[in-house]
Amino acid sequence: MIDCSKALPFLLVSLLISTLLGWLAFTQAVAGEVESSGFGAVAIPQPHKPDNASACVEPLDIMRREHMNLLLHQRDATVLDGERDGNYSLVGCMDCHNPAASAETVIRYPDPQHFCAGCHLYASVKIDCFECHADRGLAKIEQGRLADSNVAQPGSGLLSLQTFQMQLGDTGGD
Amino acid sequence: MATELDNIEIRPARRRFVQGAAALATTLIAPGILLYKTGQASSNGAAKTPRWGLLIDTNALSEADVDACVSACQREHGWHSEAGSATDAQWIRKLRLSDERSGQQQFLPMMCQHCADPPCVDVCPTGASFKRDDGIVLVNKHTCIGCRYCMMACPYKARSFIHETLYDQLPVAPRGKGTVESCTLCVHRIDRDGANAVPACAEAVNRGEHKAILFGDLNDPQSEISQRLKSHGATRIRADLGVDPGVRYQGL
Repeated sequence: MIDCSKALPFLLVSLLISTLLGWLAFTQAVAGEVESSGFGAVAIPQPHKPDNASACVEPLDIMRREHMNLLLHQRDATVLDGERDGNYSLVGCMDCHNPAASAETVIRYPDPQHFCAGCHLYASVKIDCFECHADRGLAKIEQGRLADSNVAQPGSGLLSLQTFQMQLGDTGGD
Repeated sequence: MATELDNIEIRPARRRFVQGAAALATTLIAPGILLYKTGQASSNGAAKTPRWGLLIDTNALSEADVDACVSACQREHGWHSEAGSATDAQWIRKLRLSDERSGQQQFLPMMCQHCADPPCVDVCPTGASFKRDDGIVLVNKHTCIGCRYCMMACPYKARSFIHETLYDQLPVAPRGKGTVESCTLCVHRIDRDGANAVPACAEAVNRGEHKAILFGDLNDPQSEISQRLKSHGATRIRADLGVDPGVRYQGL
């Protein structure tokens, strides 16, 4: 038999402690105390906004909550049935959510500046889309390649391949 | 002579109940059957569903042409040789046929033959290796576990496995470590242009009137590819296997 006279106070105390800890973390996150040690020490993501697009394919709240389901659904329609007319293609995301082709900046996936990576890192989501898929539009890919071959190009915001691999390791990419 | 049936009393209420039950059963069960039949019709309707294929005229292809096919495919899909790797990606490769007596040499591009009965699909444990309704054989890399059974099963050695971590893949050709890949018949172009599509390898070698690599619908008797097959015939490589490849060769 469980001794209720001992278990109940223990439960109450642990509930109190966990509530206090949670409240502490919440207040710190609200206050934006990013650099402090302890709880909530992850910066709120600031993903790169599209340079030249007016509106997303769905309202913001739907995209935030449902983007993975929209992508997953259209993914199967595209691969299995060849339907490429849908609104929710990953290529479409990457065409917009990257610096414009005219901009010098090239942002690759594990860079926290990358539109997807910023939130995925923050939410500790490990998703491997970009082990296979292009993490930016075609024009930016060509640009990245050119910049890669020219190492002495300063201030482009480009990660070298080596840094890229290190970051992959850091962020838990397999 | 009165039979037993004649003696059965017809009760309207009972009849209505039986009719109602039959209608309910039809509503509940029949949609499944109807959907099943529609699905079958769409994949088997030879008249409506295309079957994409290639007709390759080896007499019109020089060695340089075949090399051009390979590099065009590499440019289109972003695959290339990894330095020093014996397990390079090979979506398309150059074959040389030599006749020992005459010394005659022929060159032909070899890639996925997009079989009607693909052995790679038969052996795939996850269903990742599949044939689309229009006959294109593909790998669904989302479900591929990299077991490479399909590479063993393919009589044409058309598939390859990615061993290296890749960067800077192209938007039209997602490809990554741990999956099997092969020629897609430039499926992204076909989905966009339909019967007017030109695969990258064909684009690289077709000059003027005669198309050394002709893309078209094998199921449409009026298509250029069917007409040329009808008038000139073509070879299926390893026809003895009975897999009915969609890529045919002339001049072998």
